[in-house]
Amino acid sequence: MATVTLNNVIKRFGVFEVVHGANIDVKDGEFVVFVGPSGCGKSTLLRMIAGLEDISGGEIAIGGKLVNDVEPADRGIAMVFQSYALYPHMSVEQNLSFGLRMTGNPKADTDRRVKRASEILRINELMKRRPRQLSGGQRQRVAIGRAIVREPQVFLFDEPLSNLDAELRVQMRVEISRLHKELGTTMIYVTHDQTEAMTLADRIVVMRAGHIEQIGRPLDLYDNPDNQFVAGFVGSPKMNFISGRIVGHDVHGVVVELAGQEKTRIAQPLTGAAPEAGSKVMVGVRPEHFGSAGEGDTDLVVRIDVVEHLGGTSFLYARTANGDDVVIQRDAANVPDASEITVSVRKSYLFDEKGLRLR
Amino acid sequence: MRYQNATAYRFLAPYLLIFAIFWVWPIIDSFMISFQATRTVPWRFAPTFNWGRLIGDPAFFNALKNTLLILVIQVPVMITLALVMAVLLNSPLLKARGLYRFAFFAPVVVGEVAYSAVFRLMFNLNFGIINKLLNSVGLPSVDWFSNVTPAMALIMIAVTWRWAGYNAIILLAGMQSIPEDVYEAATLDRVSKLRQFFFITLPLLKPVIVFCLVLSIIGTMQLFTEPFLITERGGPGGGTETLGLLLYRQGFRSLNFGYASAVAYTMAGLAIAITLVQLWLTREPK
Repeated sequence: MATVTLNNVIKRFGVFEVVHGANIDVKDGEFVVFVGPSGCGKSTLLRMIAGLEDISGGEIAIGGKLVNDVEPADRGIAMVFQSYALYPHMSVEQNLSFGLRMTGNPKADTDRRVKRASEILRINELMKRRPRQLSGGQRQRVAIGRAIVREPQVFLFDEPLSNLDAELRVQMRVEISRLHKELGTTMIYVTHDQTEAMTLADRIVVMRAGHIEQIGRPLDLYDNPDNQFVAGFVGSPKMNFISGRIVGHDVHGVVVELAGQEKTRIAQPLTGAAPEAGSKVMVGVRPEHFGSAGEGDTDLVVRIDVVEHLGGTSFLYARTANGDDVVIQRDAANVPDASEITVSVRKSYLFDEKGLRLR
Repeated sequence: MRYQNATAYRFLAPYLLIFAIFWVWPIIDSFMISFQATRTVPWRFAPTFNWGRLIGDPAFFNALKNTLLILVIQVPVMITLALVMAVLLNSPLLKARGLYRFAFFAPVVVGEVAYSAVFRLMFNLNFGIINKLLNSVGLPSVDWFSNVTPAMALIMIAVTWRWAGYNAIILLAGMQSIPEDVYEAATLDRVSKLRQFFFITLPLLKPVIVFCLVLSIIGTMQLFTEPFLITERGGPGGGTETLGLLLYRQGFRSLNFGYASAVAYTMAGLAIAITLVQLWLTREPK
C-alpha cells in the first residue's frame, strides 16, 4: 500500500499541453476516481503515474519516493487496461504467471500468487482457457488477476469496464469495490462514467480539458459543486440549468428572475460578494429538487414533452417558457396528466457567467 | 430470387467463359496431356510414358534436388532476414521509415531481366564488385558461374534479395496489428524487450509467418527466372537447374508437352504437400 502524490504534473505533446499542472494527493488505501469527458487528460494522467508516458513537468511520488525517472516495472504499480491487454496466445494461468516467470520468481511463490488471485476472482475453472474462449467479464477478471499477482502498492485501472455491457458493468463495479475492501490497496481508477465514479470512489477528481475542476467525496461533489461543469457532470440525470438575471436583493439574499418568466423569482442566500443587479446567471436545479406547485421558493411553468417511467420513479422531460430543457423527477404515483404544469424549486445553485458557483 | 441469380450469371457469363477456356481447360488439358506420348506426332495415349520416365529420369531428380535445396536453405534464411527487417522498420527510433519501406519493397518491382543483368555484372569473376570486395578483405575471387556450389549460393542470394523486403512488409503489417497495450502490460510485468519479441511478438506473428512461408514455398517450387537468366539456363552443367527450368526445357525447347505437363503436376503436388505438412506442423493447439 502507498500514497500517490502528483505535484504540478504537466504533459505536453509537442507544443500542445494536455495536462496543465495537476496536483493530487492520494492517501494510502484510498480509492480515487479520475472522471471527465473524453480527451480531458485523465488517461494520460494515469499513464504518467504508471510510467508509460513521460511527464513534461512536475513530480510524481509513489509511497513517498519520487518516481519521475523510475521504470514502470519498478514503481510498484499494476495496471488494468481498457482492452484487457491479455496475451492472446497464452492460457489464463500463463497470463497470470507470465510476468513472474519472466523475472525468475520462485515457482512455489508464483503458484501461490496465481492460486490466490484465481480464488479472489473466482476464475479457478478458467485457468486452462485462452482469452478468446472467455466472455468480456471473464477477460476483465483475468486482467485484474494479472494485476493482483504482482502484489502492487497501487492498482491503476484505465476505463476497465467500458467494453462491457450495462448489466455486466454493474456486476464488475461491485466486484471491484469488493476487491478494494478485501485488499485494502490504493486504487486509482479512470472513467468517463460518472455513475461508476460516484459508486466506487472514496474521492473523485473531476477533470476537464487538462484541468482539475474539483476534488472531493462523491456526495460533496453532488451537493456542493464548485462550478457549473462539475454540477452538470456529477449526477444522473444531469442538473438542470435555467438562465436568469439578478434583479436585486431581499432579506433571503440575492433575487433572480428566470428568463421568460418575469413572475418567477428565486431568492438565494449568498455569503460572498453578490453580483450587480442585471448580471446574467445560471440557476442549477437537480431533477429531484423540483416540488409540487407552492411547495418551494417559487413556481415555474413548464410544458411536458416526454414522461419516462422507471418503476418507482418517473422522469418528466419538459421545457420552460424560455426554451430551457429541464428534467423533473417525480414519484411514479405523482405524475401529472396535464401537458403544462407548475413546479416549485425547492433547492437551487447559482452560477455566474463564467460558470463559477455563487455561494 | 432465382430470376435475379440468372441475371447475375448472364452478366458474369463473358468472364466465366474466358476463365473456363483459358484457365480451367488448360489445367484439365495439361493433366490429360501428361498421359500422352508427345515426342512424335501424332500424340498417342500412353499412361505410363511420361510418369514412368519421371521416376527414372536423373535430370528430374537433379532438378528436384536443386529445388528442394534452395527451398530448405533459402526460405528460412529469407524469412529470418525479413523478420529482422520488419523489426527494424517497426522501431520508433527509425527515421525516414517511408524511404526504407520503399527501398525494401523496390526489388519486387524491378524488371527481372534488368536485375538479373545487374547481378551477373556484380558477381562477374574479373570485374564484379562482389569479388572486388572479397579481394579487399584478403579473400580470393570466387567463380560464381562455373562452380555448382557458388552458383547455387548466387541463386539463393538473388532470390533472397528480391523477396526478403516483400516478406518484411507483410510481416511488418502483422507486427503493427499487435495491440500496443499488450507490450505495455509486458513492460509493467518487467519483461525485457528481447523477451517481449520471443514470447509475444513471435507467437502472435505466427499466422503471418506461416503465410509468408507458404507463399515462399510455392514461389520457390516454381523458381525459373534466376536460374534461367543469372546462371544461364541452370548452369553450370545443370547444377542450378530447377523444376521450373526443366519444365521449360522439356515443354518449350524439346516441345515434349506430355513430359512437361507431368513435371508441372509434380511441382504443384509437391508444393501442396509441403504446404500441408507445414500448416499441420504450425497448427494452433485447440
